[in-house]
Amino acid sequence: MAAVKPLKDIAIIGYAQARNERQAQATEVQFLFPVINEALEMSKIPRRELGFTCAGSCDYLSGQTFAFVMNLEAVGAWPPISESHVEMDGAWALYEAWVRLQHEDIETALVFGSGKSSPGKPAEIYPLQMDPYTLTPLGIDPVSMAAIQARALLDAGKVTERQMAEIAARSRRDAMKNPHAQVTGEFDVDELLAQPYVNAPLRTHDLPPISDGATAVILATAEKARQVCERPAWIRGLDHRIEAHQPGMRDLTVSTSTKLAGQAAGVGDAPIEVAELSATFSHQEPVLKEALGLGDDVAINPSGGPLAGNPVMAVGLARIAEAAKQIVEGGHTRTVGHATSGMCLQQNLVCVLEGD
Amino acid sequence: MTDTTTSTDPNEPVTMMEYFMSLAYSDIVSAPVMRFRDALMDGRLIAQQCPKCKLVYVPPKGYCPIDTIELDERNEIQLADAGTVTNYTVVTPVQYYGQKETEPFVRASILLDPPGGMLILQDILDTPIDEVRPGMRVKAVWAKKGKRNVDEIGNRSGSALEGSLLGFKPTGEPDTPAESFSDKVW
Repeated sequence: MAAVKPLKDIAIIGYAQARNERQAQATEVQFLFPVINEALEMSKIPRRELGFTCAGSCDYLSGQTFAFVMNLEAVGAWPPISESHVEMDGAWALYEAWVRLQHEDIETALVFGSGKSSPGKPAEIYPLQMDPYTLTPLGIDPVSMAAIQARALLDAGKVTERQMAEIAARSRRDAMKNPHAQVTGEFDVDELLAQPYVNAPLRTHDLPPISDGATAVILATAEKARQVCERPAWIRGLDHRIEAHQPGMRDLTVSTSTKLAGQAAGVGDAPIEVAELSATFSHQEPVLKEALGLGDDVAINPSGGPLAGNPVMAVGLARIAEAAKQIVEGGHTRTVGHATSGMCLQQNLVCVLEGD
Repeated sequence: MTDTTTSTDPNEPVTMMEYFMSLAYSDIVSAPVMRFRDALMDGRLIAQQCPKCKLVYVPPKGYCPIDTIELDERNEIQLADAGTVTNYTVVTPVQYYGQKETEPFVRASILLDPPGGMLILQDILDTPIDEVRPGMRVKAVWAKKGKRNVDEIGNRSGSALEGSLLGFKPTGEPDTPAESFSDKVW
């Protein structure tokens, strides 16, 4: 058997996010501009020296054909650059760039995710990502599917409605310190529980807001990172796994793909201090905590997480950026960022970050 | 043509199904395009000019993608409403749903006089198709004040300005030599 070549150390040396807004007046390219500029400035990498650019976005969100090509206007693509795009959250663009950097012929990469959800109606758009024969015609939308998942968790005794309200209240309280957050404030759990259901058993606080936003991250090889960055956030493990598309074929009370990705990324190899999880609905947080084997000593979503701002296509990359921030600015040594795609945690990506 | 895909026999397996869908989007107009709309109502064309490469963006979009510089009101300039046809296409209309044209018509690219700016897909009014040519001098024809509307102008409408700028008319001036615009043919 051929020896497996060890993976190269790649670091996050810059990051930036747009303020999450319910409806941005700026176009997607306009609000990407300062985000990419800020990430580049932090990394100290001149734009023209970038070896690779990879973006994550979805044209269906804003309803504009080739919106993903237009987004390159915020990158600076003349003279031509080496770039790629994934129709996925920017976290998967980060994965592609990380693989690209393993080739060792380039030193840096710009990764970004962006989305403008405000022009469309998510409940109309999301069914179109499902199997077109049995699921799309049913009009299955993420909130209805999440409600089915929450009901399964409640029935299994794995979560209570009070715990869900506590998660929402904690997230939005923590988000008061996050300048990018959209929904913030002090909420009383009893008052939250007195609110009517949106889709039983989910109340408004269990749902993420609809957000316009963007995240950018700069990656560098070990040598380059040490040259330009005082405290890089090293990517120690990165893995993503996917489960069956048909929700009826999965046990929605667990996240097997998160568990496998977490194991492959080495989450359990040493203690984790902070985890930024794409728990888009309140009840998904305990599912992800269990899948990653995170105890109550791990700080979950100190940024407020997706319940405080959910810029689809950027929100997963934002979790990785926040996990990196905990190392670069927060002085922590081992954090994890998580991204998800599809309904009810169908596909999951786990990124373990470490400081020196 | 024989339809081989449908069967009325309830015992036959389903081989095809129809699913009709529509998606509605409502976009909010960005600040630079909002100012562009206001100027059109006033019978003026505005653009943004990059301070570095000097390229002129019409409609303004808030940035220069070449130099990755954000642009704002301070970079806005007033454009001329006369220029030169640099290229054109004759469109032979197919009667698809919503097509109002029945006869072949011209859509031309127009390089506006200094400080510049390029408008694409413009109508050349009151001119036989075979007279339209690159180099032809033209002037904007505006809808009368009070009759203008910019309802169709948004972030994605580009150079489609029909509600306010109806099109361009030949001025009869001598043609502009091709060498002067050969690097700006769209």
